[in-house]
Amino acid sequence: MDRELQGTITLPEEGRTLASGEQEFVLDVRTQDMELNMGPQHPATHGVMRILVRTDGELVTGAQPHLGYLHRCAEKIGENVEWLQYLPYTDRYDYLAAMNNNIGYSMAVEAVMGIEIPRRAEMLRVICAELNRIGSHLIAFGTYGLDLGAITPFLYAFREREWMMSLFEKICGARLTYSYIRIGGVFNDAPPGWLGEVSRFCDTFEVKWREYYDLLIENQIFVGRTADVGVIPRDMALDFGLTGPMLRGSGVDFDLRRDMPYSLYEEIHDAGAFKIPVGTGEKGTLGDCWDRVWVRVVEMMESVGIVRWCLENIEPGPVIGDIPKTLRVPAGEAYVGIENPRGELGHYVVSDGDKVATRCRVRGPSFCNLAVVEEILSGTLLGDSVAIIGSTDVVIGETDR
Amino acid sequence: MGFLQEKVAELGSGTNLIRELLAGAPRPELVPDWAIPLTAVFIGVGILLAIVSLCAMFGTWLERKVSGHIQCRYGPMRAGWHGWLQPLADGVKLLLKEDLIPLGADRVLFVIAPALVLSSILGAMAVMPLAPDFFFADAPMGVFLILALTSTTTIGVIMAGWASNSKWSLYGAMREAAQVVAYEIPLGVSLLVPLMVAGTFNLSEASAGQAGGFGIFGWYIWPVGFGTEGFSLGNPFMIPALVLVFVAVLAETKRAPFDLPETESELVAGFLTEYSGIRWSFFFMEEYAAMFLYCVVASFFFLGGFNSPLTWVFEDGGLLPNVFLFNVMAFVTIVVKGFLGMFVMMWVRWTLPRLRIDQVMTMGYKYLTPLSLLCVLGAGLWEWGKWMIVG
Amino acid sequence: MDFQGITDRLTAVGAPGFLGVDEPRGKDPEVKGDKGRAGDPFVLVDPQSIDRFLVVCRDDPKLRFEILADLTATDPAADDENLWVNYNLLSVSHRHRLAIKGILPKSEPTLPSAVAVYRAAQWHEREAAEMFGVTYRGHPDPRNILLPDDWVGHPLRKDYEFPKEYHGISCE
Repeated sequence: MDRELQGTITLPEEGRTLASGEQEFVLDVRTQDMELNMGPQHPATHGVMRILVRTDGELVTGAQPHLGYLHRCAEKIGENVEWLQYLPYTDRYDYLAAMNNNIGYSMAVEAVMGIEIPRRAEMLRVICAELNRIGSHLIAFGTYGLDLGAITPFLYAFREREWMMSLFEKICGARLTYSYIRIGGVFNDAPPGWLGEVSRFCDTFEVKWREYYDLLIENQIFVGRTADVGVIPRDMALDFGLTGPMLRGSGVDFDLRRDMPYSLYEEIHDAGAFKIPVGTGEKGTLGDCWDRVWVRVVEMMESVGIVRWCLENIEPGPVIGDIPKTLRVPAGEAYVGIENPRGELGHYVVSDGDKVATRCRVRGPSFCNLAVVEEILSGTLLGDSVAIIGSTDVVIGETDR
Repeated sequence: MGFLQEKVAELGSGTNLIRELLAGAPRPELVPDWAIPLTAVFIGVGILLAIVSLCAMFGTWLERKVSGHIQCRYGPMRAGWHGWLQPLADGVKLLLKEDLIPLGADRVLFVIAPALVLSSILGAMAVMPLAPDFFFADAPMGVFLILALTSTTTIGVIMAGWASNSKWSLYGAMREAAQVVAYEIPLGVSLLVPLMVAGTFNLSEASAGQAGGFGIFGWYIWPVGFGTEGFSLGNPFMIPALVLVFVAVLAETKRAPFDLPETESELVAGFLTEYSGIRWSFFFMEEYAAMFLYCVVASFFFLGGFNSPLTWVFEDGGLLPNVFLFNVMAFVTIVVKGFLGMFVMMWVRWTLPRLRIDQVMTMGYKYLTPLSLLCVLGAGLWEWGKWMIVG
Repeated sequence: MDFQGITDRLTAVGAPGFLGVDEPRGKDPEVKGDKGRAGDPFVLVDPQSIDRFLVVCRDDPKLRFEILADLTATDPAADDENLWVNYNLLSVSHRHRLAIKGILPKSEPTLPSAVAVYRAAQWHEREAAEMFGVTYRGHPDPRNILLPDDWVGHPLRKDYEFPKEYHGISCE
């Protein structure tokens, strides 16, 4: 669209978003907006997402995400396969946190069935979930560095993640899509020596974590690129239904693990094994990109604390209840939300008493967290838009399911 | 042919050397006299081209090894010892790749752009003396010529971005234009500091002025130097000037954290998005050649140029005076210094995140330009004071 | 607050469209073929006044459901005459949840949009609309979100027939 000669344009001051200060410039040349297709193949969209960006020079004046490039009909599949057969599909929506997805689905089915699972199985679930959370946040941290041009932290993060994946390989044979957690417990007990290796992983990770923190999070350029960028105020975060680190980055002290505890988290929190990091706007405005990334990075250490507590308190015992191969879930419905690395992963399952589900709804946190991007992208610079998309840490497998 | 012969005769000792060798060699009657200087020029250009390509090739290898070791991996290991033949393998691959020109691209500009970029850096390379007694175009205004020629690469980059018919490329080109314009000023201005100290624009003369002191302590960078004439007061503004030049060179050569024109995470690959094969490698060679050239220029004016303990041993009046070995060691010295500078640039690249375009502009205009002007002022006053007191 | 407390409060404030509660129960041996109901309790709401109901849930100081955690629809069976619309609310300040269900006839599946109450509903409603053929009145951007714009049918309906081809690409 053509702008009038001598028209005015609002530019953000010092590259900040419009909220922090507005400045008007008078243009003496005729300019034209340009529509840019960011994606589906673009290095910054972390998958096959497409964002249609309208730009005025370096300034983004509007953005519209287009989803569905990775839509694999997970919910429809859930209505067509048996309860247990659906478990491998849950691995595939948030493929960076497959253990957590397994837990979410298993817990939803268990809620309808009304069964309790053995304590050792809960312990193993929590260990796996928290290790997976570390791995997922490592990716978030590494790829965020990559988005901002720091390539080296990405490879460091992958080194630790590699160890985490080999731990999972030892316990269940898979490196990415585990299907280890089953309805009624976990698939098998940890192999001998596995828990000891987890403990060694925690020891090493604590040392390395400090390095990562100093290398990237406290880096002056990194702070300059993320502080005051993409500010999501508290009210906006709640209005858009953001959950997880996105919500906590905006200063809302809420974590399902502590506030609506499931599994063993109440016990673990009472034992003081973990705290919930909440953004404070330390480097800029509350709810900026830096806060969100900081929350994720600090959460990794809290997860280490949870894993350590479980390693200290785990006792021998059965790991799966008496669950038939072909499940028949009693008629009923349940919604179970658990704290995934990206936020609340909700499973709404409806059973008709049959071998297959009537409805298998997945509420992916990435889907909800991405919706806010549309709102906060306009008025930023093109470089900032990459920083903002990266800070939402979306997994396209989950937005599209 | 008279004019041409006159111009050729003005060329440096490198061509003279080749000319003498050719004149001494037996030749058939058919070859006229005027062909000898012309052939010498072509051979000289060949030598320069070889050096540029070798620098670029070794630069890519070094980059991959440095990044690899910084990132806890090895980098190329298969082609030759620690992958030192990898650049050759890459070169063959790039030559054999399909030469793509996107639909709707401005074909002429698209083809000219990489050639322009590379030729401007080649032209600038000609000014660089390879050894004290072996050079091709040791222009009296050497630095000036280098700055002028290297800044024409920007035109090539803008051409590439415009001709690609891609929005990402256009963004890259616009960023390059903005960035280079912003950083030409601090680069040129802060280079005035060593020019004042050296009192010459010529690279060889600057190097000669830093002789003595075991090949190290005569460098202009030291606030108190120890050169051929004993202890002398240097200029304390040389160190900040070197820092300013380094930052400006990072921006000029589009290296991280100033790689805004390429920004693979924002602009896909910026102005390089649509290029492939050998044309793409021209841009790549330009980048490494420019890095090498800037590092060499900086070492000529700040870090002793040809002078190192190696040359100090063989220099006239040294421990083992030997003209030939002196020249060889001078060449080795300058290449090593160039690559050390490149190593620091790579180190920075694989450590730091990237700046945002407005931060780049802010840094260039608001900080580097005033600082470099202050630096020049301070250095000038210092030199004037020194002249007033010492005489 | 537990579920009982929430429903009591909803009754006390007279939440518009609040119809009742559905709690899990055992099999009724008197009724032939009764399967009972397992799982979580939820409240039943008239879908036509869902937007006003959500406003009460969000703004009542005792309820304070700040987050719309989930919004979807369900097709219980191919021969069922109704669709369900499901809402799941989450309160950050009081740390409680509420599952809401509305019964919507398949013959006229329209209901007011919740976008004015929770902007989180925007994408969820687009998804429910394309998957179930529900129309949300007053939705600001009623495009398809996961499916292509020209997709025929509503895939999560039980009576959905899989297409034989899509733009000349065989799907069989």
